[in-house]
Amino acid sequence: MSDIGKVRLRVPSSIKAGDVVQVRALVIHPMERIERDAQGKIVQKNYNYINKVIVTYLGKTVATFDTTQNVAENPFFTFTFKATDPGQLKVQFLDTTGGRYEGIADIKFS
Amino acid sequence: MTEDHRISRRTALITLSALGVAAAGGLAAMPGTAWAQALGQNESVEDAMKRLFGGKPMRDGAASVKLDVPLIAENGAVVPISVSVDSPMTPTNYVKHIYVVADKNRIPVVTRVTLSPEAGRAFMGANIRLGESGDVRAIVEQSDGSLLAVKREVKVTVGGCGG
Repeated sequence: MSDIGKVRLRVPSSIKAGDVVQVRALVIHPMERIERDAQGKIVQKNYNYINKVIVTYLGKTVATFDTTQNVAENPFFTFTFKATDPGQLKVQFLDTTGGRYEGIADIKFS
Repeated sequence: MTEDHRISRRTALITLSALGVAAAGGLAAMPGTAWAQALGQNESVEDAMKRLFGGKPMRDGAASVKLDVPLIAENGAVVPISVSVDSPMTPTNYVKHIYVVADKNRIPVVTRVTLSPEAGRAFMGANIRLGESGDVRAIVEQSDGSLLAVKREVKVTVGGCGG
């Protein structure tokens, strides 16, 4: 799938200074599940799934998600942050194969 | 796949992920990465709870923790869940971690969210997988170390964890 790693961030259209803003972040990712062989034994391999999501705002970490394979395919995460100054909101997704995908939203006040 | 091929691949992956973490500006320390791998283990829910929290007492968090998950999940592969906690989120009193644990999943720990006071509100949402009907728990660890737990039963029509 060539779409792997596509990140979409959804930020409210109008933000006022001091607001607590709720953001939805979506990433296209297969989040491979555990496979079993015919005997029911777990196949040992390096499964490709996202195990860390890091949210930074103005260079400071706001929230991190440590995830396991129990998160659905094309995972979507919701979180909040307090908008104090205009600046950059960055969401990074790290997967077990070393992949690193990121989405950036510019926070502006209106 | 031959044995040495696998090892070289793993070494390469470890190196890559280390680079990725370094590139993230040292935001995620390496122990964190190791933790994340240990987070998802094939174990029973009791073992998982013991491993994560030891014997720490847990209070019922029904008054301040809101766990939002459907009562009936038709498709276990995608179950929306959200947890919000009544917390002032000041630097001295905030919610440090929110854990989501699905009792019946083969890997019971679903996610661990680490929050900072800058989050403004103790809230997390995600789409998770549920293997079969059972309890879903949210465990909240506050900055003073106290634990609050809530759980709800979810009925799953079609399991979503595959093998």
